[in-house]
Amino acid sequence: MTTIRIEKLTRTFDAVRAVDDISLDIAHGELFTLLGPSGCGKTTLLRMIAGFVEVESGSISFGDRRIDNLPAHRRDTGMVFQNYAIFPNHTVAENVAYGLKARKVSAADIKSRVDKALERVRLAGYGPRSPHQLSGGQLQRVAIARALVIEPAVLLFDEPLSNLDAQLRTEMRIEIRQLQQALGLTAIYVTHDQEEALAISDRIAVLRHGKVEQVDTPERIYRMPQTAFVAEFLGSTNMVPGVAKAFDGRNTQVAAAGTEFTVRGEIAAPGAKVLLSLRPEALQLSDGTDGPRVQARLALREFLGPMQRLHATLPDGTRLRVSALGGAAFDALPGAPLVLAYDPAQIIAFPAP
Amino acid sequence: MKRFATIVALVALVLLAVFLLYPLALVLDASIRIDGTGAFTFGNYAAIVKSRYYLGSIGNSLLAAALATGLACAIGIPLAFCLARVDVPGRALLLTLASLPLVLPSFVSAYALVLLFGHAGVVTTALRGIGIPIGSIYGMPGIVIVFTLTLYPYVVMPVLAGFLAVDASMEEAARNLGGSQSYAVRTVLLPIVMPAILAGGLLVFVEALENFGVPAVLAEDRPFLAVDIFKLFAGESDANPAAAGALSVLLIACTALALLVQRHYLGKRRFSTSARSAPAKLSLTPGLRVAAAIMSWGIVIVSLLPFAAVLMVSVLRFRGPVLTWELGLDNYATLLSGSYRPLLNTLTLASVAAVATMLIGAPIGYVVARHRSRLSGLLDFIGMVPFAVSGTILAIGLIVAFNSGPLVLTGGWLILVIAYVVRKLPFAIRSSSAIVHQLDPSLEEASVNLGVSPSQTFATLTVPLMASGLVGGLVLVWITAASELSATVVLYSSRWATTTVVMYHAIEGTGAGLAAAAAAVLILVTAIPLLLINRRVNKQEATVI
Repeated sequence: MTTIRIEKLTRTFDAVRAVDDISLDIAHGELFTLLGPSGCGKTTLLRMIAGFVEVESGSISFGDRRIDNLPAHRRDTGMVFQNYAIFPNHTVAENVAYGLKARKVSAADIKSRVDKALERVRLAGYGPRSPHQLSGGQLQRVAIARALVIEPAVLLFDEPLSNLDAQLRTEMRIEIRQLQQALGLTAIYVTHDQEEALAISDRIAVLRHGKVEQVDTPERIYRMPQTAFVAEFLGSTNMVPGVAKAFDGRNTQVAAAGTEFTVRGEIAAPGAKVLLSLRPEALQLSDGTDGPRVQARLALREFLGPMQRLHATLPDGTRLRVSALGGAAFDALPGAPLVLAYDPAQIIAFPAP
Repeated sequence: MKRFATIVALVALVLLAVFLLYPLALVLDASIRIDGTGAFTFGNYAAIVKSRYYLGSIGNSLLAAALATGLACAIGIPLAFCLARVDVPGRALLLTLASLPLVLPSFVSAYALVLLFGHAGVVTTALRGIGIPIGSIYGMPGIVIVFTLTLYPYVVMPVLAGFLAVDASMEEAARNLGGSQSYAVRTVLLPIVMPAILAGGLLVFVEALENFGVPAVLAEDRPFLAVDIFKLFAGESDANPAAAGALSVLLIACTALALLVQRHYLGKRRFSTSARSAPAKLSLTPGLRVAAAIMSWGIVIVSLLPFAAVLMVSVLRFRGPVLTWELGLDNYATLLSGSYRPLLNTLTLASVAAVATMLIGAPIGYVVARHRSRLSGLLDFIGMVPFAVSGTILAIGLIVAFNSGPLVLTGGWLILVIAYVVRKLPFAIRSSSAIVHQLDPSLEEASVNLGVSPSQTFATLTVPLMASGLVGGLVLVWITAASELSATVVLYSSRWATTTVVMYHAIEGTGAGLAAAAAAVLILVTAIPLLLINRRVNKQEATVI
């Protein structure tokens, strides 16, 4: 059972607060993702947990054991590195056996555990090979086997998929997720790829400037972002500034982009400035039924295969991205008028900064 | 990780303090005391400033170093350009040969000049025979020629790297934007190569200033700093340790200043050496191509010719000081008839020193490259101090420091090894930190993460990964230690005389044949390991991912 408790953790580099007073609780068996743009502090936080970056203030505990003053080699974490860090002077099997040897496991046990670990990552029989004979995806699997085989208290992933091509990336993230769930290990996963984070995580912490913006399940992070930053970082949402009008008991009208939007709930006092987040998939081409809608014009159409992205211009010139299914017969030319329908419950308003 | 780095840094700093800084401090101390009474004085410096002889000595040394620097740049830069941009026939061989003078003992080259153009030199006698008088090569001309021919690779290597570092697209972009070829050279090529020229030039300057062997062979009675320091300290008649100390401090000040200028300049300008596509070879007219080939090969052959001459002369018979044209191994017989001891000493001392240097230098290089801290910065700086200290001065410091007191080392083998280790340490540190820079730090982190302590990770993972580079460094330290003269000649005892000492005394005396044989042995001792590792390193590089 490994729960992780991070309390008031801080680290500054020169004058920059890379990790700024972060507190997190991670449950046993959870895959917890640190998500954010580069420079947000996610990798620093992970490396503080692994012991490669010193803690300035605050604490890290695994269960009720405080570990932030232990040296890195005694923390019992299994880390999968961004560039795999496979030792080029060792064979695949020696790489996987490395941590077991350090733990003075008997030779016979090492052999059987290495074989099992390689089998688990679908590399049975690759043991005697030299790392340079392996492809990127295979090296990735060796790195995972090497981290798993020591049965660490915590698995750490530092952008493990960023060096793989797109297709392999989706395959590997499924494998990682299934292995982690099957073994019931607590894992911390660092990525800047929001789709990867949504797909793989039990919970996500979105980081910005060394601080936590929001911690939540993928669904809630996506549907109910608590800050404009989270809304913008997850999915390419449309942010439209506007001014709130009167609340009618159910919806609030918002004047924005030369037109008016209907937003569910009392989002702000009349006259207050707000920011509206309109997800591209929350907007549809109106099929003529009732409901709130706005008038726009088609500016550009991108055909992406399964879907197409429409760039619509609102009356004041503001651009909106609209996702439409690729199969739908739609061949309007730029300049054509569009009527966009939406569900007021799917528009999220934030107070304008 | 931090603890391991701290321990390495502290141990290294203690060693450097005891065997480098303490001896140097004693030299400095001697320079500000009255010889005998020990009272404080600046009189030694005042005496130097007042003495025309010593001012001449300083002037000669600076002038020789400056002329050698200028000439080394004058031949090194065109050679580097030809190697980089002209399709010179036999380029790979040329490149190997061009680096040879750096490791071959320069005083052997100086001695070859004496054999060929000296008072009784082969060429001198031959020309005199047909009635053509020839000017003296002793003093400034000979010394500058030898410095130039043995030190120019210091300019060639970094400048060549600089020329190759300009990605082809840079020059293409300059041309595409409307610049002429010469405009592209002026605005793109030269700015990138300028720091390399300066870096190489300053190295030539420092090495020439510190060099003891070349002026010892060629100066005759003209004063040169490195020789005068030696004579003032170890001379039988006119010993004056205080004056030696004062001259030493002045010499160190000159070299340190040059090195600081270099460091400062290079710290601000770093050029990337990772061109994705090397610039294209220039398309020259056949005439220009031939000229480039003749010039490139000419420079390299002329610089190696003295060594070839020594090898040749060593198998000719001498009658007294006069060379005959009879073949024979008499010189080698004389060399070995006395004793095998000096040769054996050379091999043993060089081996012990090379291993010790790498054992101490590799961890320092690792810490300096990997763990940026104030302590490692200090270590990096002090580790480079030996660059600025000539062998003679370090040796004098070691003698003063360990002639009495709790640790007496003079007269033994250890003091020679210590001098070699300290002198070659900067090289070991530089080469191992360069290797470490190429290793991905996450490899070590992965090892530590899997439960192996940092010190064990260094020993079992990092060192094997560094192995091929360390072997290269080991051999180069071995070679330079085997041909070391300036510190050896101060520190040796009769039991621990080396081949270089035998050769030095043979030159001083009348053993021309003996000196030639000793010089030839030194050439072989240095060239053979170099050829061996050249193959080995190439093979290893192919297997490293």
